[in-house]
Amino acid sequence: MTRVLEGTSHDTATSAGTMATRADEAEAPDSIFSYQELLRLDEALTMSSRETGLRFTLYIGDLGPQTRARAEELFERSGSDLPDSVLIAVSPGQRVVEVVTGAAAARRLPDRACALAVLSMTNAFASGDLVGGIVNGLRQLSDQAGHPRGLRTH
Amino acid sequence: MTVVETLLVYAVAPLALIAVLALLTLVPGRRKKLRYKPGQAWDHEPVWYEPHPVGGGGHGPTEAHGPAGVPGDGTTALGSSMYPEQHGPGAPGQSGGYGGGDSHGATGARALAAGPSAAAAARPFGGARGTW
Repeated sequence: MTRVLEGTSHDTATSAGTMATRADEAEAPDSIFSYQELLRLDEALTMSSRETGLRFTLYIGDLGPQTRARAEELFERSGSDLPDSVLIAVSPGQRVVEVVTGAAAARRLPDRACALAVLSMTNAFASGDLVGGIVNGLRQLSDQAGHPRGLRTH
Repeated sequence: MTVVETLLVYAVAPLALIAVLALLTLVPGRRKKLRYKPGQAWDHEPVWYEPHPVGGGGHGPTEAHGPAGVPGDGTTALGSSMYPEQHGPGAPGQSGGYGGGDSHGATGARALAAGPSAAAAARPFGGARGTW
């Protein structure tokens, strides 16, 4: 937690135009989420990725008419280590959430586990709690994936 | 009680009270934070969130790694591990309007450039879908 806080302050301090970026950051970027919510998302993503060794990324935005195809397209661009990646794509406007797992990740996160996590996420989303749903879904996914024995995270 | 007094006590006073309460609740600008309600439109820019890299302790700007780490366009100032969606060089002016032949081609080209073998190795995608 402290590390995240420290990291963000360093980030803004080192980039040019400190005052402007600071003022920008005080109110959350694009005002989708508050600063606390961003921290929760950040911590959930980072911690679940470190625990499991998978790479969880989160996309929030429109997914177009073909949501599944679009989510897989995004997934293919989501990083270098695709087989071990998991993408959670949320489109609040369309009320759709898609979870895409790479081949190696799918072995640890079978589709049924993903569906369960998606179910709990949609439950929270339906009551208007985007961040809570995402954090809970991430927790479920990382619990299901578990901690591989060889992985050293700390 | 005179008529004026009666009116003041039974009509004007309750109305004034109601007006004050309505003003307190309905005046715009009181509530800064907008909250998502299911069913409302979502007209924000698409955003990516990705985890902090394991090795880097979070000091200094996060290194862009892989094709999702966006180099350049306006992504450095956001502080946490938050990146707006990548606007690749081959996809001009895509600001939310996805779905169309040309955007398909652009992303396909970019995926090829990023490494077709990596995408193919991950190919049997799993996952789930949900609506609410």
